Amino acid sequence: MRDPEVDTPPGAVVLHHCDGAGLKRAMQAATAWLEKNASAINSLNVFPVPDGDTGSNMLLTMQSTMKAVAASTDGDVATVGRDLAHGALMGARGNSGVILSQILRGFAQGLDRRQTIDCESLAAALAEASATAYKAVSKPVEGTMLTVVRETADAARVAASQTTDLVVVLEAICAAARASVARTPYLLRVLRDAGVVDAGGQGLYVILEGILRYLRGELEEEVMIELAPEATAAPRAAGATGDDAPYGYCTEFLLEGQDLPLDRMRERITALGDSALVVGDGSLVRVHVHTFDPGAALSYATSIGVLRQVKVENMQDQHRDFLAAFAPAKRTDGLATVAVVVGKGLSEVFTSLGASAIVPGGQSMNPSTEELLAAVESVRSDRVILLPNNKNVVATAAQIPSLTTKEIRVVPTQTIPQGIASLMALNAELSFEDNAAVMCRAGDSVRTIEVTRAVRAAAVNGLQICEGQIIGLLDGELLSAGEDSTQVIGHLLERASAAAGEVITVYWGADIGTAEAEGTAKFIRAGYPGQQVELIEGGQPHYHYIISVE
Amino acid sequence: MSPAKRFGKVEVSPEAVATIAGRTAMQSYGVVGMASRRLKDGIAELLQHDSCGKGVEVRLLDGQVFIDLYVVVEYGTKISEVARNIMRNVKFAVEQSLGTPVTRVNVNVQDLRISGKA
Repeated sequence: MRDPEVDTPPGAVVLHHCDGAGLKRAMQAATAWLEKNASAINSLNVFPVPDGDTGSNMLLTMQSTMKAVAASTDGDVATVGRDLAHGALMGARGNSGVILSQILRGFAQGLDRRQTIDCESLAAALAEASATAYKAVSKPVEGTMLTVVRETADAARVAASQTTDLVVVLEAICAAARASVARTPYLLRVLRDAGVVDAGGQGLYVILEGILRYLRGELEEEVMIELAPEATAAPRAAGATGDDAPYGYCTEFLLEGQDLPLDRMRERITALGDSALVVGDGSLVRVHVHTFDPGAALSYATSIGVLRQVKVENMQDQHRDFLAAFAPAKRTDGLATVAVVVGKGLSEVFTSLGASAIVPGGQSMNPSTEELLAAVESVRSDRVILLPNNKNVVATAAQIPSLTTKEIRVVPTQTIPQGIASLMALNAELSFEDNAAVMCRAGDSVRTIEVTRAVRAAAVNGLQICEGQIIGLLDGELLSAGEDSTQVIGHLLERASAAAGEVITVYWGADIGTAEAEGTAKFIRAGYPGQQVELIEGGQPHYHYIISVE
Repeated sequence: MSPAKRFGKVEVSPEAVATIAGRTAMQSYGVVGMASRRLKDGIAELLQHDSCGKGVEVRLLDGQVFIDLYVVVEYGTKISEVARNIMRNVKFAVEQSLGTPVTRVNVNVQDLRISGKA
């Protein structure tokens, strides 16, 4: 028996190095994983030409790359890397394929003369890959594969400084790639308009994820066919891997023993199913097979050694999980936002943040139900998020869901800043429901100051207000009055605890001149040197200033 | 340029088309610069980034648009594929903003740039 004191926990086999053969297999696994995801990637493709072929192009590039590598000797990573780069160059297809080939070229250069890859050299090679990718274009467009490879390389460098475990570094790389892909719509307008993430970036993420899956031993059947020489004679011939065929059980385990008969085991396991993989040495063997009878594999194994880390999974479930995991990316395809805004500058702010349609309206000019409905019907999507941006419009907006066959969520924003904060929280990766929830929360996180002139004398909240005085509202509540707008703003910023905020944004209205607005901004900057103060021409009527504190 | 006909005449100058085409070509992956078309037999000169219209020839013949591009491509990329991508990207971008079909996009690779290792 093993001593639990010195034994690492099951599954914690730490991988420090990867040799040429390992690199080759990892890339094979990545190619297989990309193949599974290619059509999902195609559906994302809108830039630079929306022809829906990014996934296919990247896959063809990778397949051609792997063909070139198949002949290469397994020796050191530098040799395999060079063959990878050469294969990618010859097989590059489409924009994404050319970028991918350039990434691989840089990666190979980074591996210069190395025998094996460890965490540090992986990070260095990725940095070289990123630099090489950027070199080949004079005007790099951000929000594409280029952004993803650069941010991924940064994450690799950080991770490699903290660990020597390749799996941990690859995990950090994948997490960074995923996050980077999620941000692409914020960097590239055309993606945001289409409600998708960048297809090439997603493709790169999938490739990296395929490598991680290989390192973790979560292999795809296609790779297995490549790897198990016994199975290549009749790949898929068993019928169990056909399109509509049942999937059986993915069975994996580690087997410990002494002088384990590897060749004999391979024969027996291969006979039990397909995609068989038997690797290891005489004392520890990893076995993977797709079979309808996992019991037979396990009982054979127990007859010759000790089982560890047994994993049996229904592949029908795996397949369904896979489909479910990739559904959300498509789900946001149909999401649109309709915002109620008045003022040229404010409308532009909403449009630039991705609002699909703007309905003019606001304080003292509420849009009619018909106008809102017409806007909702005019957007191409069937799922619409409505941002009323005014207390009096919320009620009108609430009627819309019952008047249309489209799915509507009203995010009850009561002010312009709430609407802007909500819209900024929109995440192309989230589902419709989740987005509505996230946007509601985002709207609540911001405080709104509105400054206008009293149209008549009144007594509100203990304040005596004369006609023509400047009045200020904080989150819709009248809390300040005075002769001078800076005085009112100063008072309300204090009430809003602006000193604890980070950004103060001032949208000045149509009744205010540029010089006056700049004076106000200067006044605020003087009072809040620790905050970032933004000044934007909102062009709204009625309100002299709308100010957000977040 | 017919959609606007009922309100009047819209004319798009070849220079405007050249700006769109040049800008798109410069953003195409693999393109590191435009080469002046006046130096066809000499050394292709790398042009400054802001002169997108350079290295682009646009001809409008009977409502048809012909575009010739003179580019410098990064050494080590698949030139045929980079050129094909430029054609597709430029055709799409110009058609998108003009609404007029582009008949031909010819890509002339004038030179390769070798960035070297560091």
